[in-house]
Amino acid sequence: MFQRFIAFILLSLMLLPLVSANQETSLWNQENSLAWEYDFGTGYISTSPIFVEDKIIVRTSGNSEPAVTALESDGTFVWKHSNLLSKNNDMSPLLSVNAGEGACGTWPDLLLVGWTNGVIDALHPSNGSVYWSTQTEVAGWGITGAASVSEDHVIYPTRRGVGQFCLADGSQEWWAETGLGWRNGVGLYDGSIYSGDELGTLWKIDLDGNSTALATFEGKIRHAPQMTQAGLLVHVQSSTSSTVYILDPVTGEEHQQFPAGPSPAMPVLNGKYAAVADSTNLQMLKCDTMCTVVSQIPFHSNGEIGWQNESHLIVPHNTPESDWGSFRFDGGQNLTLELIETGISGYGTAAPLWFSSNGVNYTVFGNDQSLLRVYQSNYREEIVDTKYINWGTQGIVFAAYVLLASSAIFFINGKKEFFLRTFSLLLVLILLLILPELSQVWSESVDQALPESSTSEVWDEQWPDSWLGTQVVIFEIDGEQTAFGGFVGYENVFTVTKAAAEEAGYSLSVEQTGIGMYISSIDGVEGDGWEYDLDGSKGRLSADNTEIKSTSIVRWTPV
Amino acid sequence: MFEAMGVHGPTLSPFASLVLDVALLASAFWLLAKPTKRPIMDSLFLATLVLSVTLLRVVMQPLPNVQPVTVAALLVGAQLGARRGAAFAVLVAMISNFFMGDGWWTLFQAVGWASVAVAGSQLSLITPSGLNLRKAIFASLAAAVWFDLIVSFSILDGTIGFTDFITYLIHGIPFDLLHMASNLAFVVWLGGWFSGRLEEQPTLEEIEFAVVNGHGIDG
Repeated sequence: MFQRFIAFILLSLMLLPLVSANQETSLWNQENSLAWEYDFGTGYISTSPIFVEDKIIVRTSGNSEPAVTALESDGTFVWKHSNLLSKNNDMSPLLSVNAGEGACGTWPDLLLVGWTNGVIDALHPSNGSVYWSTQTEVAGWGITGAASVSEDHVIYPTRRGVGQFCLADGSQEWWAETGLGWRNGVGLYDGSIYSGDELGTLWKIDLDGNSTALATFEGKIRHAPQMTQAGLLVHVQSSTSSTVYILDPVTGEEHQQFPAGPSPAMPVLNGKYAAVADSTNLQMLKCDTMCTVVSQIPFHSNGEIGWQNESHLIVPHNTPESDWGSFRFDGGQNLTLELIETGISGYGTAAPLWFSSNGVNYTVFGNDQSLLRVYQSNYREEIVDTKYINWGTQGIVFAAYVLLASSAIFFINGKKEFFLRTFSLLLVLILLLILPELSQVWSESVDQALPESSTSEVWDEQWPDSWLGTQVVIFEIDGEQTAFGGFVGYENVFTVTKAAAEEAGYSLSVEQTGIGMYISSIDGVEGDGWEYDLDGSKGRLSADNTEIKSTSIVRWTPV
Repeated sequence: MFEAMGVHGPTLSPFASLVLDVALLASAFWLLAKPTKRPIMDSLFLATLVLSVTLLRVVMQPLPNVQPVTVAALLVGAQLGARRGAAFAVLVAMISNFFMGDGWWTLFQAVGWASVAVAGSQLSLITPSGLNLRKAIFASLAAAVWFDLIVSFSILDGTIGFTDFITYLIHGIPFDLLHMASNLAFVVWLGGWFSGRLEEQPTLEEIEFAVVNGHGIDG
């Protein structure tokens, strides 16, 4: 009886991995790690940041100081431009314009910002200074929608209309009245401007500023209409649901409609595919001569949709304490979702920003928590690509299942020797699988329970004062110490070391071991390996598993 | 003598490494320097044993703290006696570290495994009916802890205090658990077979006894 009970317990353990399967780290989180974060303190990030002149430009609002802030790709603050008179959550997407010339004049590289107090600022991206600024009409609020650039002018949706402004000096060329709008972005296609309003009217404006009501729906249009091969796509929000319409762009005639959930997001196109979302689903439409829904997945999103490339989308999950959604799309029928951890769960409407710097790919996340988090693709020089199925791990897990079942059977039948054999192997397999996490958790627990070593890394008076309060990395090469500091936001020894090596121009050779990343050479120096001290204490875990503080000093020494 | 201090203990200069290796080799041959009726066969057998276990250790290097040498030293000591067990342990430590990385820690690994072999010779693990599996299991688990403790002393370089050393030992407990689990697996899977192969070989003590008896008879 006892044997059968033990066997039942052992067999029940086989089900545990199934229960915890959804707690495994997502593929995206395996491929990306946090590079740094920037805390704005207060305010919301309601629209996607942009990358201009090697700087990340972020707008924040919903607090006492709506602003646009520029950060270097390593998180260093560059400049900030505020608008204390802006009224509500500023969600009009930032717009970058290259220098040019036209009939109304010439202009340098510009960053265009539309504010909810109706102001349009044209800023120099290099330093945030104002090149020109113009005031548009306000009725409760001003600009909330996406603008569009055409030749030498920019077209901005205002509260009750659409205006065209010269890029050279911001002077208004014309203004066309439409209905009251909110998040009423403009779409510019084949010489025609399209914009919707809160009464469900789709407006068509020609380049001379003459507006026509193209179609009218029961609901609200809160996005820039999108032009597909099948026609103009408009996602109309009703009180408890929404509808996606495909319209003739000339006549406004309805060609198709697709039901959708409440509070729609802003649709985006990628080739012949259109992604639409709402509080219920994310749908993928394929639009040739007609649009068809190829796939849909339950998801709640009401703002921007981030489309990285043909096969990957990341969408903010606009619910409390929720993770972001990473969607993989193979262009056929398969749309898959995995929730990814970004450290800023909860309400959000801003799509991520993707950019590359020094050969590294970054993903930038921001939402209503006023925190900007920047992730980088993991350093994978000597790591086997495990993007899809890791057959090695799968094989080990399968073997573990077999051993577990065998142990139970042998135990029931009283074959102690065979039970010992299978159970001992099972024990070894389990320990091998969990050892990296187990050792990290154990070490963290020990560090918390036991007093820290009294030694500490001494501040070098020769270091610049700007390094105070930042992370510093010291390399000892050929008997000489070289320090690099001023790093902010790095979470572990490996990422800050990598940043320091990049700044120093040192090459890093990294090996992926079963218990973490091991740096085998720095700047071509191998020796018998490299070891690190963190704040004066010898490192006990691998570099990527050792967390650091905002003022930590890491010292690398060849063995 | 020491070039530098590192997390693995003192870093040896080339001369110091040479001295250490010579000392270890000398001790291994001293342990083996006993009269034998079959010197060539015994040497070949021991050499084969050393190389086999060395290869096994090198192959298993990617698995952290999976040390087949511990169980092998235990069983060699149990079956062949303390001297040959200790010699086996020293030679395996030296040769395998030639591939895996030699240093100050080699001394402690050699001492650790040699002491396991000596313990194995004293624990009566071998009975007339073969390996006492129950005893061998407990001995292998204890040997894992003992060996890891001995090797841990290699990090003491004068800069590490007692508290830090205890903290270091506690940090290593997950790896000790893996060492114990792997020892258990080696004993239950290979212990009987391995000790059976060794059973054909007489211990040095048996050889001495036979030689003495032979001379006595001749006398």
